[in-house]
Amino acid sequence: MDSFYTDQTQVIAMFTKSFNEVMASEFISLTGGVLAGFLLSFATDKLYLIPGLFILFPGFMEMRGNISGSMSARITSGLYVGAMKSRKQRRHIIDGNAGAAIGLGVALSVMLGVLAYVVSHFFFGVDSFAIIPVAIIAALLANVIEIPMTIAATLWLFKKGHDPNNIMGPYVTTVGDIVSVLALLIAIWVVV
Amino acid sequence: MSHTITKRDIKALAKLKRHKHHHLVHKIHKKHRISYKTLFYMKEYGPKSHVATVIIKESIKILILASVISSAGGFQMKNIESTLIQFLPLLILLPALNDMIGDFGTVASSKFTTLLFLGKVKKSWWGTPEVREIIKTMLAVAAISAVYIGALAYVIAVGKGFAFSTVMLAKTVMLSLLATATLTGIVLIISIVCGIWVYKRKEDPNNFLIPITTSLADVCSMFVLAYLAMLLF
Repeated sequence: MDSFYTDQTQVIAMFTKSFNEVMASEFISLTGGVLAGFLLSFATDKLYLIPGLFILFPGFMEMRGNISGSMSARITSGLYVGAMKSRKQRRHIIDGNAGAAIGLGVALSVMLGVLAYVVSHFFFGVDSFAIIPVAIIAALLANVIEIPMTIAATLWLFKKGHDPNNIMGPYVTTVGDIVSVLALLIAIWVVV
Repeated sequence: MSHTITKRDIKALAKLKRHKHHHLVHKIHKKHRISYKTLFYMKEYGPKSHVATVIIKESIKILILASVISSAGGFQMKNIESTLIQFLPLLILLPALNDMIGDFGTVASSKFTTLLFLGKVKKSWWGTPEVREIIKTMLAVAAISAVYIGALAYVIAVGKGFAFSTVMLAKTVMLSLLATATLTGIVLIISIVCGIWVYKRKEDPNNFLIPITTSLADVCSMFVLAYLAMLLF
């Protein structure tokens, strides 16, 4: 009977800790999502300068979240299984992850840019080649800011005794949303 | 008959294709007491592997698919544009709801993958206390978050000049709750079923689950939101 109560207490404690971590990060994430929309609403006139941007937009945001989210999850798994105990191992895995994230980000941006160009050409009859360089510049800018932030936050959270899995998902999408919107706006400013 | 592990054996192991098993994995596990999960992780991302190449090879197809699916979601968004513009709280709710479901996809997938790597998922995943704990946590967070964004979207819309009505506020919160419950359920099922399937194929579910759950959540959220908007408003 005692062990039943001990088990129940452990499960409740585990649930409460997990709930608090996810809830806190989700609250910040939702507020961040509103902030991203708020930022975007200030530049609606600029968004019309590049036709096809609204087709690129959801895919670009999704891609940023996917790349950083998977990277954080891989690093977390490595931390949990003890594959990153030595400095050399940690460097090997982190460098590899950062390299892959940069490569994937640039390759997928080119693809999304081309897709947005093709869709706007065939479905809306608009030719806007500028969408491709906008996508590439935005991806490079977003990579430079987002990847180091994601790696640092994952390692720091694990070091402080938190489960990065609970926090990094919402963190990545919040930072990703804000950084992606900013990167796209800067890229439009550079290209146009 | 005993077999000592030599450097040559280790090199042979490192060169082995990822989908093949080797008797040395079992021997290393027995002799050095290193878990199969750690050995699997090291096989993927160990000192002899080129981490970036492994990740790119495994992720590129699914990321392309996820990005294309999300772009399709953007196309669908254009179709419900008029409904969204007419009803301002819905327009404000859309990005936050989309973001939130994506977050749940990432959290559920990464937590479930960690459980798989730690070997805590039993044959019947439903009977695993840790999996049930993930489900309970996600549903509780989803319910609170749905009420929060529903109410916040309405308040912001009123602040921007939308007429206040208690019935409309209740409908907005109801829409947010129903959409979140449906989408969280979809995300959890995809994370668990696909996670087990990918892990059984000796691949890292982290490289598949997050892109697939978030992109499907994106597309589903557009459809669920559009259907509920037509039903409630």
